[in-house]
Amino acid sequence: MRPGFTAMPVTRRKLQTTTVLAYVILIGVCFFNLLPFVFMLSTSLKTDQEAYAIPPTFWPKQATLDAYTQVIVWTNFPRYFMNSTIVSLGTALLSTVLGALAGYGFSRFNFRGRGLYMGLVLATQLLPGVLLIGPYFKLLAAVGLYNTYLGLILAFTTITLPFSAWMLKGFIDTVPEEMDHAALVDGCTPLGAFTRVVLPVIAPGMVATIVFAFLLAWGDLLWALVLTSGDDMAMVTLGLSRLVTQFRIVWPQLMAGSVIASVPCMVLYLALQNYLVKGLTAGAVKE
Amino acid sequence: MNRRLRRELSRAVRTPFGSEITGNMNQSLASKVLFRSIRLNTGFAFALPCLLLLLLVLGLPAIMAVANSFTPIWSEVKTFTLDNYTKLLQDKTFWESLQVTIIFVAYTVMLHLALGLVVALALNADIRGIWLFRIIAILPWTIPDVISGLVWRFMYDPTAGIINYFLDRLGVQNPYIEWLAHPRLALPSVILADVWRGYPFVMLILLAGLQAIPKELYEAARVDGASVLQEFRHITVPGLVRMVQVALALDVIWQFRRFGLVYNMTQGGPGNATDILPLAIYRQYFKYFNFEYASAMAVVLAAIMIVISIPYVRMMVKRT
Amino acid sequence: MKKFVFLLVVGSLLMTTAGCQAPTPAATQPPPATQAPAAPPTVAPTKAPQVVTLRVSNWHLAEKHWEKTIKDAIPIFEKENPDIKVNLEVISYAEKEAKYATEIQAGAGPDLIHLAGYSIRNFVESGYLYDITPFIQKEPVGFLDQWYPHLVELFKYQGKQYGLPSDYMAMILAYDKKLFTEAGLDPNKPPKTWDEFLDYAKKMTRDRKGSGKTDTWGFGTVGTIDPGWELRFSPVLLSHGAAYLTPDNKCSALNTPEAKEAFKFWVGLVTDAKVVPPGVTSQGAGAVRTQFANELIAMKIGSGWTAPIIPTINKDFNIQENLGAAPMPVKAGKTLAKTTTAWYSGWMITKNTKYPEQAWRLLKWLTSKESDQRWFDGARVLSSRRDVSGDPDKGIKAYQPILDDKFSQVIQAELKNAQINPQLKEWPQIADTVNKEVQNAFTGSKSADAALKDAYDQINKILAPYRKAGETCPAY
Repeated sequence: MRPGFTAMPVTRRKLQTTTVLAYVILIGVCFFNLLPFVFMLSTSLKTDQEAYAIPPTFWPKQATLDAYTQVIVWTNFPRYFMNSTIVSLGTALLSTVLGALAGYGFSRFNFRGRGLYMGLVLATQLLPGVLLIGPYFKLLAAVGLYNTYLGLILAFTTITLPFSAWMLKGFIDTVPEEMDHAALVDGCTPLGAFTRVVLPVIAPGMVATIVFAFLLAWGDLLWALVLTSGDDMAMVTLGLSRLVTQFRIVWPQLMAGSVIASVPCMVLYLALQNYLVKGLTAGAVKE
Repeated sequence: MNRRLRRELSRAVRTPFGSEITGNMNQSLASKVLFRSIRLNTGFAFALPCLLLLLLVLGLPAIMAVANSFTPIWSEVKTFTLDNYTKLLQDKTFWESLQVTIIFVAYTVMLHLALGLVVALALNADIRGIWLFRIIAILPWTIPDVISGLVWRFMYDPTAGIINYFLDRLGVQNPYIEWLAHPRLALPSVILADVWRGYPFVMLILLAGLQAIPKELYEAARVDGASVLQEFRHITVPGLVRMVQVALALDVIWQFRRFGLVYNMTQGGPGNATDILPLAIYRQYFKYFNFEYASAMAVVLAAIMIVISIPYVRMMVKRT
Repeated sequence: MKKFVFLLVVGSLLMTTAGCQAPTPAATQPPPATQAPAAPPTVAPTKAPQVVTLRVSNWHLAEKHWEKTIKDAIPIFEKENPDIKVNLEVISYAEKEAKYATEIQAGAGPDLIHLAGYSIRNFVESGYLYDITPFIQKEPVGFLDQWYPHLVELFKYQGKQYGLPSDYMAMILAYDKKLFTEAGLDPNKPPKTWDEFLDYAKKMTRDRKGSGKTDTWGFGTVGTIDPGWELRFSPVLLSHGAAYLTPDNKCSALNTPEAKEAFKFWVGLVTDAKVVPPGVTSQGAGAVRTQFANELIAMKIGSGWTAPIIPTINKDFNIQENLGAAPMPVKAGKTLAKTTTAWYSGWMITKNTKYPEQAWRLLKWLTSKESDQRWFDGARVLSSRRDVSGDPDKGIKAYQPILDDKFSQVIQAELKNAQINPQLKEWPQIADTVNKEVQNAFTGSKSADAALKDAYDQINKILAPYRKAGETCPAY
């Protein structure tokens, strides 16, 4: 650490090149990201007729909110939405909490079998869900957790937890050990050191993990398909997949549903993105 | 030294050299000893909930899945056999699928990383309205990958799709490009769709990593007169190395499991051009009901993933 | 402070999981939960009937107009059977096998399921279904004669009956009369032979809208890996006098000169004559219907679903005036017994049903004459019952509305020419193999001959379990 520095204003010229470059890249990103999105949005505003037209149109000639009405009012979409939100939020929280704890344990402590356990955590991800789903379903049914929120949360957490743990371990690794050592010396328990010193510093990492776990649970189809029964527990991805019928894909409604389905993720991200701010790392170790 | 520290240290004294050490210790050495003495139990305790959950929930299914490739566990007759594996080795389509999978993973991971890094750097800048760009940057990732597969498939349609429509409007001579129908174009088209959908994940990790680099380092470097490039090389890169490793390791494993997107775009066609292994496994399991064969395929895929990810895992396990 | 936040997070998490059971109404609880006060399932209905709930899963519920037909019909059953309540469950067509297989394996499947011919054999032979032979034996003699015998056979395995057939249709050629007229062809004289077909298709592949390039094609078909693919390719094989497999199912029959001719013809439509729109290997059945509804193609192979679906895609398409139906073209100079492919579906009781007797009553009702007639009225799908789809040999007349409907009457007439595809557990894999090789030939990755040879060899490998030691298949 450089001693005795003072914050000095940066030269104007330097500021401008990096800023301009950043803007250029970000505008490019906007185009790249948004094109399919805009297409989704415009399709969701089309009539059935126009959505299937060959040659296609980009902007709807006859915009209508019909698809949205159909999806929100005439299907059980609000219910799927609620189910997905509850399950995804539960999964995100559970896997972030457990993952952070595990990440701290793996990062700071060199206990016996540490490498093996870390490898094992990751190894659970190597087998595709297709194979695991049969036995897992039997397990859930035996314990009586089939078709419940808890059963779903546990299922999704097993998918998100290994990655959460590894991601958070990576973030925690970037925090110098001296910081929590200092806290321990000051009389904290290890858990205290963890929550008071390390967590605030990796807040951006926690945000990333929460968002990641949420989106993973939100977007999963196979487990949602098999581990729920009936309409009441169905999730958004399931509801959307039903719009791909034997005979056609009901595009406007599918796109309307997808647009609506992307909202919670954006809301979550917006709410948390304050933590993705530079400078939260105030509190460097004093030597 | 405070009371607690003394108490913990007295416990630590039971180790060899304990009495010598506690003699004249200064604060930092004391803390190091303390730390090391409690690491054995506490570390494990921290990791325990995570391990318990995973092993309890997935342990049995995983073992059953692997066992299924050696002996059909759902039927009454249980004979151990390597037949599935020998059949697999001779199956030409399996090897083609493997090749496609490796190409798919290699390209998507590289592009995820490249794009993710560039965008993360841009989003790290201190510019106005950054929150709007941040939202847009993560947008592709908020769509479930089955849906994005369908959307891109629609966009790629030769006669009904929007991409060829634009080409037609631009006056391209033959605008009916067969994005997903031509064996040479199918895999790149699928890779593009996956890059669109998947790079925000890497970007988010790298952004969080960038945010963790203390601002003071940059300011100090500027005071010393470092150029942007030098700042990048000496501050950003070392600070990001760990996160790049994490992102890389996770993304590789993640991409080997990619299923929904490709399933809805091409179903593996045309021919075997986009037939990645998870797709082949799903087909064998749920379409052909060849449960044991599918298990064998999955075990082989898992073995390959283990081999590929061992260097990353080693890197990550090492403590910095 | 941070510790407080931490505890808050954990606390809210616990609260989420505590109140975690979704408020499912009694009807949708999984079998372990109580559905009716302890009623032994197989007691004859002499006691006061306890109300039992049956879970019935059907992919048709995902399609709006079909859902209505089904939902309107169920109350009729419930009124006649006050001790049974029916719970309808929707499932998407593509995912049904995955879900059913997993659920049934775990003992939590629905009571009744509906499957399309593509995967029926898989389920029958995998032991997932309930044996209804005892119930059939209690019925009056000739009970099974109500359906076409070759369809009833499809649900038999090792002497036991596992389901009853439901829908039954033949693939026919659907064409756009307007495009015929515009190309100078007589809309009332659809092609009868494949040569005529090719000729017509070429005439209708042109620049119709003045765009400077070909914007209309004569024919459109499914090319992607899609369960409906086999329904479009098989008629070509059959009407050339070829077959997929030898009658004993031990070897592939794709090495016959007829098969080679059929394959080359089909591939030639795309590679030589170019009468098919670009990108055929990425088109599914829905995409082809969309093309047809938008007048991008003039002809397609379809069946009973075509007529109701086209107007929902393009309401300006005048079904009455412009939709034509013709029997499948044949190879000139050949007299063949079977010239087109049949599509069928069936209803089955799953093996983990807790109420087999009630399920049987529902199964009977779902496949009854009135139900199938109602189904035709609402969905334009023909039935596998003789008394609905007719049996001229036995003097049984078809349901009159079928004969009155221009489109359906062609399907009904073709039923006698329709062949069911090979019924093996390995059929999906065999169909996919041929599908992929057709794709390879379409895209030019392999020559038609090489592709067919590869298909032949791969199918022979798949059929190895059916051959005894020492039996081999001839070379290509």
